[in-house]
Amino acid sequence: MVFMNPNILLVVIVFLPLVGSFLALATGKNKRLCRWTALTFSCIELGLISFIFFLDPQPHSGPTGIWLLAVDYPWLEVLGARFGLSLDGLSLMLLWLTAFLTVISILISWEVIQDKVGSFHFYLLFLEGCLMGLFMATDLLLFYLFWEIQLIPMFFLIGIWGHSNRVYASVKFVLFTFGGSLFMLIALLALYVIHGHQTGFYTFSLYLLAQTTLSPTVEAWLYGAFLLAFAIKIPLVPVHTWLPDAHTEAPTAGSVDLAGLLLKTGFYAFFRFAFPLFPGAARASIPLLLALGLIGMFYAAWIALAQTDIKRLVAYSSITHMGLMVIGLGIMNVMALSGSLLQLFNHGISTSALFVMVGMLDERLGSRDFTQMGGLWKKIPIFSAFFLFFAMSSLGLPGLNNFVGEILILIGAFKVRPVIAILAFIGVILGVIYILRMVQDSLFGEAHAEHNFEDLKPREIFILVIMALPVLYIGLHPGPVLKLFDSSIIHMLQQVPLLAQNF
Amino acid sequence: MQLYWLDILPILILGAGGLLVFCVGAFLPRRPTWLLFALALATALGAGLVAALKTPTHPSFLGMLDLVAYARFFGVLFMVITSLTLLLAHRYSQARGFAGDEFFALILYAALGMVLVAAATHWLIFFLGLELLSISLYVIIAIRRDTAVVQEAGVKYFIMGAVASAFLAFGIALLYAATGTLDIQASLSGWPAGAPLPVIMIALALILVGIGFKISMVPFHLWTPDVYEGAPAPVTAFLSTGSKVALFAVLVRLALNLGEPAWNLAWPALWVLAALTMAAGNLTAFYQTRVKRLLAYSSVGQMGYLLMALVAIKQGSLPALLFYLAVYALMDLGAFGMLGALSETREDLDELVDLQGLGYSRPGRSAILAVCLLALAGLPPTAGFLGKLLLFWAVIKAKFIILAVIGILTAIISIYYYFKVLVALYLRPASRALQIPRLDFGIGLAGATILIAIVWLGVNPSFLLGLITNISAILPR
Repeated sequence: MVFMNPNILLVVIVFLPLVGSFLALATGKNKRLCRWTALTFSCIELGLISFIFFLDPQPHSGPTGIWLLAVDYPWLEVLGARFGLSLDGLSLMLLWLTAFLTVISILISWEVIQDKVGSFHFYLLFLEGCLMGLFMATDLLLFYLFWEIQLIPMFFLIGIWGHSNRVYASVKFVLFTFGGSLFMLIALLALYVIHGHQTGFYTFSLYLLAQTTLSPTVEAWLYGAFLLAFAIKIPLVPVHTWLPDAHTEAPTAGSVDLAGLLLKTGFYAFFRFAFPLFPGAARASIPLLLALGLIGMFYAAWIALAQTDIKRLVAYSSITHMGLMVIGLGIMNVMALSGSLLQLFNHGISTSALFVMVGMLDERLGSRDFTQMGGLWKKIPIFSAFFLFFAMSSLGLPGLNNFVGEILILIGAFKVRPVIAILAFIGVILGVIYILRMVQDSLFGEAHAEHNFEDLKPREIFILVIMALPVLYIGLHPGPVLKLFDSSIIHMLQQVPLLAQNF
Repeated sequence: MQLYWLDILPILILGAGGLLVFCVGAFLPRRPTWLLFALALATALGAGLVAALKTPTHPSFLGMLDLVAYARFFGVLFMVITSLTLLLAHRYSQARGFAGDEFFALILYAALGMVLVAAATHWLIFFLGLELLSISLYVIIAIRRDTAVVQEAGVKYFIMGAVASAFLAFGIALLYAATGTLDIQASLSGWPAGAPLPVIMIALALILVGIGFKISMVPFHLWTPDVYEGAPAPVTAFLSTGSKVALFAVLVRLALNLGEPAWNLAWPALWVLAALTMAAGNLTAFYQTRVKRLLAYSSVGQMGYLLMALVAIKQGSLPALLFYLAVYALMDLGAFGMLGALSETREDLDELVDLQGLGYSRPGRSAILAVCLLALAGLPPTAGFLGKLLLFWAVIKAKFIILAVIGILTAIISIYYYFKVLVALYLRPASRALQIPRLDFGIGLAGATILIAIVWLGVNPSFLLGLITNISAILPR
């Protein structure tokens, strides 16, 4: 049946985790059953998405544009909103990442989360379902719906299972992201109304709205509202301040989802919505994006250098990475764009792995302050080896995943804006410094005598090994993944001819 | 002249039902609560069903009552509100010893007042309906005689209501003097040349003040938190939804019928009042530490959003407004109703601190409260989101961009205080052990209905929207 119409898979992918989430909630009384239910559903989801890779759908033109797979069902006829989901290479990669990290989140929480197990897995799977929808929606109302709903599970994940200052962090998270989104809503409605006035036909379809003609002033205002919403999510300096708090207070699974998935939504939305909808304003904003990206890189690196809390340091390193990706977006040629999109995935894996390891350390040490660590290599060598591996991946060691993405962005940038490329390169070097300092202070040096704890358990080793596989795969053989983006990028550059000047 | 009594069957049912409940209370020994409740519920459901299913044969009853779809829509909505209130209030009132015939009958009479107010096309009927509504409410707000706060709330509402009525009566009298008719439509448009516009405007201003008191429009909203806090929670639920929706129905009718020169003077005033109401309601709610006061100010803010849509009424915001009125009624009923369901018998749950930990010890009721709060905050996938979306769409379409931006800014503020309640419910440990009554069938049924309706209308509102679009299509612009 599925073979007859693979498009149905898209709907299944969105609703399967939602069904799973309610089952997990229902089985919450029995912790073991609940964990297995959640794990089963997330694994099936991952399997389904991997199955799409094997189906190897080819891009074809449909009523909503050129996509690999697409569905488009009537939904709110009165408003002209449709249940439209579409898949291209970028979406497919992000879907896979989402499913993968959800499995990881469930696995790492297997023993740590003992309290309110049912609701915990409910929120995790619910979040997964929302993100699946978000990464595929081609109807702006549907997109906005998923964009907003995902806040609620994340709010509770941070607020219930977080650390000491969790309430503050979760409320701050909600206010920042919600505030930005509401401006986007106004802009969205304005665009919808303008399109309706022009054509006499109200629709939320991305494909149709992108054909609206806007006066430059209006376009700039609308784009500005979208920019604000997405910049908060990415996050770009100066609207990043919710992120370190949210990360520091979130439970490990929360940090993984936050860094690995939620931050990606902002970038994805830029690429998928803001640019095609407002090409003129987007082009005008390129210097701004480049500046914000650079400022973000340097500022976050500078702050990261002063951190002694590993989790906060990794959080700031996240901002640095996102800054580089935004630069790639601003450079706007195929090479830099591919690099940026690949970095989305790399950052999702590497940073999540670091958060996972910080969480493991926190469980053993009861502290995340690396001035309190030192000499871990002698005591827990397996842990330390993995930690070193993911730290190297994060700073961009050749042969590992981040190197590929970073080098693509830097070379792509160098071709058109050498000054930016050099500055970005310095930013990357700064990243190397603080990561190395973290590694040195925690793994090497004098061991604290009072620390006595066991090395990784088989479950933990298993988690880290499966996280290490994509790191190595992309580091050594990035071709197939990069090929995924070709259609997305070409599609966008064609869709937005104004942007293709550097192409 | 032939009278078409069957056309006003819902009104007759309500009146007779109320009388029956009174009679049962007066003549049956021991006044069995279940019977009173069952009769009242059957009356409300019966009237609602008749209003929903039976199409009146005439557009108007004696030129006094509107019988077209607009009035029927509100009739059904009021019966839904009344039925849910009855379900929410049954055990609540029984446990607190005020479940007498007067309580149930007066709820029915208040509902009758609402129906009359929303359907009135004649100023006298409107005034009579409003007084019936208000007098019934004065009593049921103060129905709990063992608590001083409740009495205080009753007196406050009474004084405010009396003042509002005085304004209204004076306004109607002036309007009558200026136009020579008590027919609402005739008095508001198509004046003969030489009709004194200043007098009409003063009359309209007085009427707006009177209605403004009732719908807690800023600056006439100051009674709201005290009364909401004092009144028993299910009564607050009834008061904050039923009477406001009824008065809004009138306001919409007046705005739609208001003729050209007067409307051009009126809408800028409404613009300012809407902005003020949104801002003041949401900003004041920000500082509240008591849940009922917080929800009271939140409902002031919600009125602001509705007023915002009222400004754009001539540009076709009516469907959005009607949809949001219905959704607002559900959300506020749910919020106050669940607050009542989570309350100890001695006094209503009020301090935010006391809500702590209830999300886990009373998961069902808390979840419904949480969904209602998310809906009030306008988060998807609830009906609150879709309602706000439609409102803002209508306002932007009418090119009131600044008003929409003010609305969005206040909505951002509102997120904070709604989440404050969620934080207490789910994120903080329980502060003290509460003696909360077990969940009873009535509250469970009402809660489940509200929950399903809020989520369903948020995801698939096509039916209701279609209905509302048809209703709006036949009204004058």
